[in-house]
Amino acid sequence: MPTDSGQATYLEAVGLALDSEMDRDPDVFIIGEDVGQFGGAFKVTKGFLEKFGARRVVDTPIAETGFTGLAAGAALVGLRPVVEFQFADFISCAFDPIINVLARHHWRTGDAMPVTMRAPFGGRLRAGPTHSQSVESYFAHVPGIKIVMPGTPEDAAGLLVSSIRDNSPTLYLENKYLYRRLRASGPLSLDPIPLGVAKVVREGRDVTLITYSAGVSQGLEVAEELDKDGISVEVVDIRTIVPLDVETIVNSVRKTSRAVVLHEAAKRLGYGAEIAATIQEEAFWDLDQPVVRIGALNTPTPTSPPLEDAVIPQPAQIAETLRKVARA
Amino acid sequence: MATRTRRKPDAPAGTAIADRDPVLLRRIHEVMVLTRAVEDRMVAMYKGGDLLGSLYTGHWHEAISVGAASTLRTDDYMAPIHRDLGAHLWRGMEPWQVMASFMGKATSPTGGRDGTLHYGRLDLGIYNLPSHIPANFPVATGMAFASKYRGQDRVCLAFCGDGSTSRADFHESLTMASVLKLPNVFVIENNQFAYSTPLRMQSNSETFAIKAVAYGIPGVTVDGTDALAVHDAVAEGVARARAGEGPSIVEGVTMRMHGHAEHDPADYVPKDMYDEWSKKDPVELFENVLIDAGVLDGDAAKKVREDARQLAIAARRKALADPMPEPSGIEDGVYAD
Repeated sequence: MPTDSGQATYLEAVGLALDSEMDRDPDVFIIGEDVGQFGGAFKVTKGFLEKFGARRVVDTPIAETGFTGLAAGAALVGLRPVVEFQFADFISCAFDPIINVLARHHWRTGDAMPVTMRAPFGGRLRAGPTHSQSVESYFAHVPGIKIVMPGTPEDAAGLLVSSIRDNSPTLYLENKYLYRRLRASGPLSLDPIPLGVAKVVREGRDVTLITYSAGVSQGLEVAEELDKDGISVEVVDIRTIVPLDVETIVNSVRKTSRAVVLHEAAKRLGYGAEIAATIQEEAFWDLDQPVVRIGALNTPTPTSPPLEDAVIPQPAQIAETLRKVARA
Repeated sequence: MATRTRRKPDAPAGTAIADRDPVLLRRIHEVMVLTRAVEDRMVAMYKGGDLLGSLYTGHWHEAISVGAASTLRTDDYMAPIHRDLGAHLWRGMEPWQVMASFMGKATSPTGGRDGTLHYGRLDLGIYNLPSHIPANFPVATGMAFASKYRGQDRVCLAFCGDGSTSRADFHESLTMASVLKLPNVFVIENNQFAYSTPLRMQSNSETFAIKAVAYGIPGVTVDGTDALAVHDAVAEGVARARAGEGPSIVEGVTMRMHGHAEHDPADYVPKDMYDEWSKKDPVELFENVLIDAGVLDGDAAKKVREDARQLAIAARRKALADPMPEPSGIEDGVYAD
């Protein structure tokens, strides 16, 4: 079982939050491929089977539609399933139960389906076109699913707690590149962090960088670099893309008059498009510059390092864009 | 585990009937008759322009739908499909609510947000399915899972058609339910056609029940026009599920006597199939069985039919008079509080 070392990794934070919710609520169970005796492909649920038993730590056949739909049915009659997709790439195998069952059941009938779907996503692990995808925009277009994308171990814990307690289906996307690269700066709080509340993670004057997930640590590093050149970047971590905290974004943009949106997903129809459009609707006359989006090229994610690095946003590109927008 | 084909008992129907609960038999008959009366009324409503879109009926599915639903306890779960009005009525769904659903009325179970065949009610233990049948199968495994998780002995009965058996949901649900030993019974309503696709283009299996062999569970094919044959086969599956022995398949063979929906003239169906199957009206067959056995007399049967007809007429009157929904608040409930 994970224990809080006082410097928990992002991955351990996910495990600690799940463990704590399973302790707290006997209706919470985890289901997915290899989650039990193997402890999960990334070891988030290591030790869970021994602690909670096979009744609540459910290994399944390779059947994403099967276990996602099972979770929907179990939730419909009062349980709180947590589904683990081994990779977010495999979530396409469960599109039907997510989109046609989970997302719209409450609106259709008034009966809740509180399922949390955990999925490791994203690139930079040289895992190639079908093991590196950013899937948030597929689901952000569909009414009825909350989408949670933590960028720090602290948020990974508190947002998972909230996701599990939420009565709506929640897609909780774990950035697998961050799993063992980020550590908490102290003991983790397992108090819920409300969904739909963005956080200004760095105050700045000249330009707002709006981002989420891995973009947060990446953006903060770039912001420190630019600070040396006298460019003050405000970094807003939206934390959940659905619901979206428009107010925090708009307040920041009103302050800096310039906005850049960063994500690892493809730029075309990525969530940045929604954020940029929202900013122009809500704060057009506060802007000094057009809103700029940074996202991946419109290609699948390649495997080989020089190819992957050419496709997904890199620090130099982020720095150059921020510099250009801040100084224009 | 072997599958087998169960034929109608050779013994005169009266022999077996005598040992059965006459109240249950008469109730099955009443609900089958009501199902037919409501659907006949709704066909007229479709033709008369009362309904919003098309109408999906279950003519010749009454024995499967009611025969299967009548095996359950009231606290069991069901995940029926669009041919299963009988199962809904068995559980206490009001005919006017079903009509209201096909009319987009505020009084439909979804308040007009969904419509047509999507009228299941969780308070009756019935999952309200989307159009992507058998998307109800994975959900049905979840309801069964919850029962087992809580140490209860509630069972979930799920229905699908012959066409559904080709989809991944079917295979994944059967796999999950058999591996996790879930208390499910899966009823396959083999009505010869999936929209226009005939059996021989749907599956190379000799039967659908035979698929059970691959899942390591029991499977049985029964005459889907024989309410008692269906009832008995499903009851066996339910008992097995309730005892913690896992899922099973019951295939009921019948015929889809109308088009896929009422807009579909179904001229792809060979006429001699209709001629042959028209001799096997499940409602009529069951009524005759009860009359022959002395469980029902002719006058009582006539009264059941007339009561059902009047109920359907009154249901239409109410549904027609019911209000359409207000668009205000349409964004409420996208997310659950």
